[in-house]
Amino acid sequence: MDPGQEAETTELLQFLYACPVGLMEFSRDGDIALINPLAMQLLMPLSPEGFAVNFYSLMESFAPELRNMVDNFSPNQGTICDNQHILVRPGSKQTGTEARVLSCTIVRLAANRFIASLADVSKQVAQAKRLSQAETWLASLLDGINDFATLSVDEHGIIIGADGSMFRQSGFAASETIGLELESFTAHSEGFETISVVDQIAIAKQQGWYLSEGWQRKKGGEAYWSQRLISVRNDADPADLRPAAYTALIRDVTRHKSDTGKLLHMLRKDYLTGAWNRAHFFEAGEAECIRAERYGQPLAMIAIDIDHFKKVNDTYGHAVGDDVLMAFSQICTNLLRPNDMIARVGGEEFAILLPSTDAEGAANIAKRIRSALAAMRLHAGDHTITVTASFGCMQMHPQASSLAEMLAVADTLLYKAKHAGRNRVEADLTLEAA
Amino acid sequence: MTAVNSEGLDFSHISLDQLSAISALELDRLPFGVVGLGCDNLVQVYNRTESQLAGLPAGAVIGNDFFISIAQCMNNFMVAQRFQDEAELDAELPYVLTFRMRPTRARLRLLQGAAPLKYILIQR
Repeated sequence: MDPGQEAETTELLQFLYACPVGLMEFSRDGDIALINPLAMQLLMPLSPEGFAVNFYSLMESFAPELRNMVDNFSPNQGTICDNQHILVRPGSKQTGTEARVLSCTIVRLAANRFIASLADVSKQVAQAKRLSQAETWLASLLDGINDFATLSVDEHGIIIGADGSMFRQSGFAASETIGLELESFTAHSEGFETISVVDQIAIAKQQGWYLSEGWQRKKGGEAYWSQRLISVRNDADPADLRPAAYTALIRDVTRHKSDTGKLLHMLRKDYLTGAWNRAHFFEAGEAECIRAERYGQPLAMIAIDIDHFKKVNDTYGHAVGDDVLMAFSQICTNLLRPNDMIARVGGEEFAILLPSTDAEGAANIAKRIRSALAAMRLHAGDHTITVTASFGCMQMHPQASSLAEMLAVADTLLYKAKHAGRNRVEADLTLEAA
Repeated sequence: MTAVNSEGLDFSHISLDQLSAISALELDRLPFGVVGLGCDNLVQVYNRTESQLAGLPAGAVIGNDFFISIAQCMNNFMVAQRFQDEAELDAELPYVLTFRMRPTRARLRLLQGAAPLKYILIQR
């Protein structure tokens, strides 16, 4: 190489080493051929073994749809996705790892060459969310004040005052709410869940207000989508022993489907099956665990793995594999209650969290899903395919009280079902007898 | 001329004192990469092995902030943070580097102590 070329190569390498955006090239199978340091920095924490070699396996838990999008892209060159947001959660073994949002653009360069750019946009997404919430809230003020229920809460989130507005909105009389936790009027785990009321109050104390969205329940049991603003009414005053008080304004927005809600929904759902994604499952499921423990309610988990799924993919192609996943998710949705949470936790692995259900109840639901799936016939060209799945069911107990621990126990039972010949339900019913 | 005994100059055993004492020529002869950083993370030592692995001449690297311009993939809790948190450090760990943008498995050894520079040793 002549000195001029060498200097150019050095500059090019320096440019790529210092590039503030993650860049990489991968093949159709997801194998990473080229990667710059920033992309490595973003991807390494997502790999359990700390080694980023295959883009699809790194993304399988967070965005399994990437493979589908690349597979379904027929032109030989062009943009496959543009700034797609992916919610990732670095490995649980490392401490202090929070969910992050990666923005990913994929371009096809040639038949078997794909280039991706990656950037961490967590801060921008959080800021945009906060701004759009504030805008929605201000706009809503113009719609009329009658929609609001007003409550006073103390710093522990206990309701200390209410008026007729809460009754008009939810059917709960003021006397029925005072002394209860604000959280106890929350319905499903969707929305509100990421941060506790006490923490929301702490943020309101620092920043003046905290706005969140989620399901509230009415006295009749019906749920409504709401926005809730917590703001400081007065700080604690040691002179007259007056404790700090906060105002909670709750607005029924069921009819005005909010854009923020839709956006959040998109970020939390698996694009292919419509099930929750793994990141959201862990976040919302953990809140469900805490709730179950606090109210002494049983909570059950079913771990599911589709039998011989790789064989379906290898024999009939990924498109048929995708049909299987979608059909399975549909069967589950039909058989589950609205509060049950189904999530795609891996390629062909699903998990279902069932509030107020014990292991026996979970096993009964698993049996119904198992037989519905086994009875289903899928068509792939001239072939008719049947698919089965294996199930592991358990309920929360003191040795398995977190979502990760529950899933680990359910997984062990699932593998027992696999070893016993597949297309089976295994359940740990020992708690029933105790 | 044997200013320093060449024994013990292998990847796992070479000491902070030895790294500080040996000449630039001897550093260049080591079969593993050696990067020496000042307290401001500016590169002061960049030996030949490392230069060949990364494809960058030492002159293009020395004086630059290592964790910003050369190795952003080490700017994390496994490497950069450990230098900040542990005044005395001698740790070996498996790692993945991006030499000439190829994902490459490597072993790192991180050394920090009384010597003026901290060192990252890289074994492919």
